[in-house]
Amino acid sequence: MTSQESMPTARAERRQAKRLRRFDNPWMNPKLFWGAGLLLGIIALGLIGRFLWNLDLVFTGSTPLKLPPLGFENLRKQPGVLDYPLGTDGGGRDMLALIIIGAPNTLFVGLLASLIGMSIGITLGFTAGFVGGRTDDVIRVLADVMITIPPLLILVVFQSAYGDVSLTIMALLIAGFVWQSPTRLIRAQVLSMKQSGYVQMAQLSGASTFHIMFREMLPNLVPYLFGSFIASVTTSIVTAVGLEVLGLGPQRIPTLGRTIYEAINAGALIQNLWWWWGIPTLLLATMFIGLLLINLGLDEVSNPRLRKLS
Amino acid sequence: MRKTTRFGASVLIAAALAGQAFAQDVAREDTVIFDLDRTIKDPENFNWFTPGTKRMHGAHQAMWEPLFILNYATGELDPWLGESITANDANDQFTMKIRGGVEWSDGEVFDADDVVFTVNMALTNEEISSREAATVRAQVASVEKVDDLTVVFNLTAPNPRFAVENFGVRIFGSFLIMPEHIWAGQDPATFANASPIGTGPYTFTSSATNRAIWDRNDNWWGAKAGFKELPEPKRLIWLETGGEESRAQLMVSNQLDAAQNVSLGTFEAIQAQNPKVIAWYEDFPYAVADPCSRQLEINTTIAPWDNVNMRKAVAAIIDRSQIVNVALEGSTVASDTMFAQFGSMAPFIDAVKDAGYALPPNGDPAAGQALIEAEGYAKGSDGIYEKDGEDLSVAIHVNSASTEYTKTIDVIVEQLNRAGIAAKAVPVENGVFWGEVLPFGTYEMTYSWLSCGSVNEPWASMGRYTVKDVVPVGERSPGFNNTSRWNTEGAAAYSAIVDEMGTKSLGDPSVPGLVAEAYQYLDAEVPFIPLVQSAKLLPMNTTYWEGWPTADNYYNHPFFWWNHTHQIIHNLTKAN
Repeated sequence: MTSQESMPTARAERRQAKRLRRFDNPWMNPKLFWGAGLLLGIIALGLIGRFLWNLDLVFTGSTPLKLPPLGFENLRKQPGVLDYPLGTDGGGRDMLALIIIGAPNTLFVGLLASLIGMSIGITLGFTAGFVGGRTDDVIRVLADVMITIPPLLILVVFQSAYGDVSLTIMALLIAGFVWQSPTRLIRAQVLSMKQSGYVQMAQLSGASTFHIMFREMLPNLVPYLFGSFIASVTTSIVTAVGLEVLGLGPQRIPTLGRTIYEAINAGALIQNLWWWWGIPTLLLATMFIGLLLINLGLDEVSNPRLRKLS
Repeated sequence: MRKTTRFGASVLIAAALAGQAFAQDVAREDTVIFDLDRTIKDPENFNWFTPGTKRMHGAHQAMWEPLFILNYATGELDPWLGESITANDANDQFTMKIRGGVEWSDGEVFDADDVVFTVNMALTNEEISSREAATVRAQVASVEKVDDLTVVFNLTAPNPRFAVENFGVRIFGSFLIMPEHIWAGQDPATFANASPIGTGPYTFTSSATNRAIWDRNDNWWGAKAGFKELPEPKRLIWLETGGEESRAQLMVSNQLDAAQNVSLGTFEAIQAQNPKVIAWYEDFPYAVADPCSRQLEINTTIAPWDNVNMRKAVAAIIDRSQIVNVALEGSTVASDTMFAQFGSMAPFIDAVKDAGYALPPNGDPAAGQALIEAEGYAKGSDGIYEKDGEDLSVAIHVNSASTEYTKTIDVIVEQLNRAGIAAKAVPVENGVFWGEVLPFGTYEMTYSWLSCGSVNEPWASMGRYTVKDVVPVGERSPGFNNTSRWNTEGAAAYSAIVDEMGTKSLGDPSVPGLVAEAYQYLDAEVPFIPLVQSAKLLPMNTTYWEGWPTADNYYNHPFFWWNHTHQIIHNLTKAN
C-alpha cells in the first residue's frame, strides 16, 4: 500500500521540481524556442542553400519562364520540373534560388537596421535618463517628434529621388527611424532605476557615470532591450518590405519584397502564377510569426507575471 | 484575391465617374471605355502645341479630326477633313482641297481660313514645340488661301512626303487645325484652350487627371453633309487604368473596352476568363506589328559613351534574342536594322543587309569586353570594369508605364552587368520621361523608339538623326529628333546623304543605295542601338462593342491612342 501511495507523490514532486527548474530559467520557454527555430530555419535555408543550389539561377533569363512548382501545372499546362522545384518567375529566375538569397537579405536589413537603431536608442535613452536636465529635454523632444513621423513616407521620397541603393544603405536609412521607441523605453526604465539602492550606492562610492550606466544598470535592462530589439527588427523588416514592394528597394539584389513587387507588376495574380508572390509572402509570414513568438517569449522573461504555472 | 482586385477596379471606375451628375444618363452599353496609360497632368489644358498629355486622352481621337489618315492596310491616304492634296512637279508646292460643309461643334464653318491661320501660327511662333508643329515650321515657307476650300503650301525644299508627314497620321498624330475664331489673338505658347472645340462627332464633357469624358454631338457636320453616319457610341471615356494587373481585371470584368499593351501571359489569362476579349490575331502571337521598333538611345555627349568604341562594346554585349525570349515571351523578333520590318520597308532593309550592316540576333560579350579593355579598363574583384579607381557604370532611364519597357531594361541591365558594366535601371513616370528626360538629353542611355517614322520609305526614320537637329544637353531636341546629340564628322556626312535622299520621290531607284551609304555611319558610330521589333498586344472587348480592327477586319491598325481612332469609332457597332 505504502509503495503505491508514495509513487504518485514522487511523480508529483518530480513534476513540481521540473516546473520550478523551468521557473528558474525563464529563457527556456517554448515560445522563445519556436520563434528562434523559425528564424534560424530561414537563416539555415540561406546558408545551406548557398552550398547546395546553383545561385546563378537568380539572374534574369537563366531559366524557362513561369514554370510552376513540382507537382503543379501552370495555365499553359506545363508541369513543374525537378530542376526548378519551386518553379520559376516571369523573368526567368528560379524561385528556390531567389528565396535562398532573398530571405536572408530581408532578415539582414531588419537585423542591421535595428542593431544600429538600438545602439543609438540605448545611448540616447541612458544619457537622457541619467544625465537629465537640458540634455534630457533635447533628446526627449527629438524622440517624440520622430515618433510622429511615418518612416515609409520619408523613405519613399528619399528612395524615389536617389534611386537604387544597396541593402546596407537601406538598413542605415531605416535605422534612422527605429531608434526613438527604444530611446523612450530605456529613458523611462533608467529614470525609475536611478532611484534604486544599488545605483545610489554606486554613485556614493564614486563610480563614473559611464560605469553606472553600462556596468550597473544595463545588465538589468537586458530583457527589455531584447524585447525592444525584436520589435524594431519587425518594424525595420516591414519598412524595408514596404519599400521593396513599391519597387524602391535595391534592383539587382533579390529580396522577398522585390520579388512580390515584380510579381504584381507583371500581372502574376491574373495569370495565376501563385508561387511567384505566394512563396515570398509565406516566408515573410513565417519570419513575422517567428519574431512575434520571440517577442512573446521575451515578455515572459522580463515580466514574471506572464509565466504560467503548468 | 481576384475578387479584391475586381472590387478595386470597380472602385476605380466608380471614382472616375463619381461627381458626374450626368454619368447615369449614358448606359454602359452606349459607352466605350478606352485605356489611358498615363496621368493627365493638366486636364484643363487643351493646347496641343505645348508638351504634355493634350491629345491622346480622346482629344485627337474624338474631337479634333485629321485632314487625312494614312491607311496602313492600303498604303493610301484616306481623305477626312481634306479631300485631296497634290504636288507640283518639283514637289515643292502642294495644293490641298478641303471638304465642303465641315463645321466646328459651335456651328462656325471650318474652311481654308482656319487651315492658313493654324499653319501660320506654327510658322511664326518659335516657342511652340510639339513635333508636328516643329515639322511644319521646318518644311513650309508660306501658306496661301486660294478660295474657301483650297489652300496652297509653298515648301522650303522639295519634299515628296509632305502630305503624309504632316497631315496624314503616319505616326501617332497629325498637324491639327484649330478654330481661328477661338485662337485669334491668343498666344499659342501659353493659351490653355480650356473649353476646346473641334469638328469631330464628340464634344468635350469633363476631365480629371485620371480620365477624360466625351459625349456625342448629334448635330455633327459629317452626318448632315453625308460624309459618314453618326457613330454608335454615345459616350467615350479614356480612363487611366494604372498597370497591367488592373488593366487585365477591368477587361475580365467588362469595365474596359480597349486596353493598352499587355504581356502574352496576361492576355492568355484574360482570354481564359473572358472569351469575349480578342486581339489583332486570333492565335499566337496575337499582337500587331508596331511601326516603332525599340532601341537603346545613347547620349553621345556624356563620357564614357562619347567614345565610339564604348558604344560599340555595349552594342556587342546586348543579346537581342534573349530580350525577345525573356522580356517579350517570344511575341516579336530581333531587329535587323533600325527600321520597322514591314513588307514595304524590305528594299531598304535589304540594302542595309547587303552592305553588311545587319545586326546579329545574339550578343558577343567577349567582343564587347575586348573593346572595353582596349580603352584601358580592367575588371575589378567584383567583376565590374574599372579605370582610375572608378567603376564603369551606366544608368538607363526607363519609362515605368509598361512592363514591356521595364522587363526589357531588366534583361539589358542583367546582360551588361554580367559582361562587367555596372548598369542600373532608373524607372521614371511617363510624363517625366517624355517631358523631361528624353527631350532635354538628361540621360546616359534610355529605352525608347525615337527612330520611329518610316513605314514605306526610309527618310522619316533616318532624317531624325541629322546634325541640324543637334542642340546642347538641357535644351529641347526639336520633335525628339537626334536626342543622341550625334554631331561628329560622320554625322555630318550621314546628314548630307540623308538630305539628298529627302529630295527623291517615293520609289526612286537610287534610294536603297543611298540608305546603305548613309547607314555605314550609323554602323560605325552607333548613336543608338536598335533592339527588337515592337509588337503590341491590345486586348479588345466584344461584350459591348464589335467592329474592332483585327487582321481579318483590317480597315486600319488598332492603335487607339493615335489620331486615326476616328476610323475605329465609326466602325464600332453595338454587340447583340
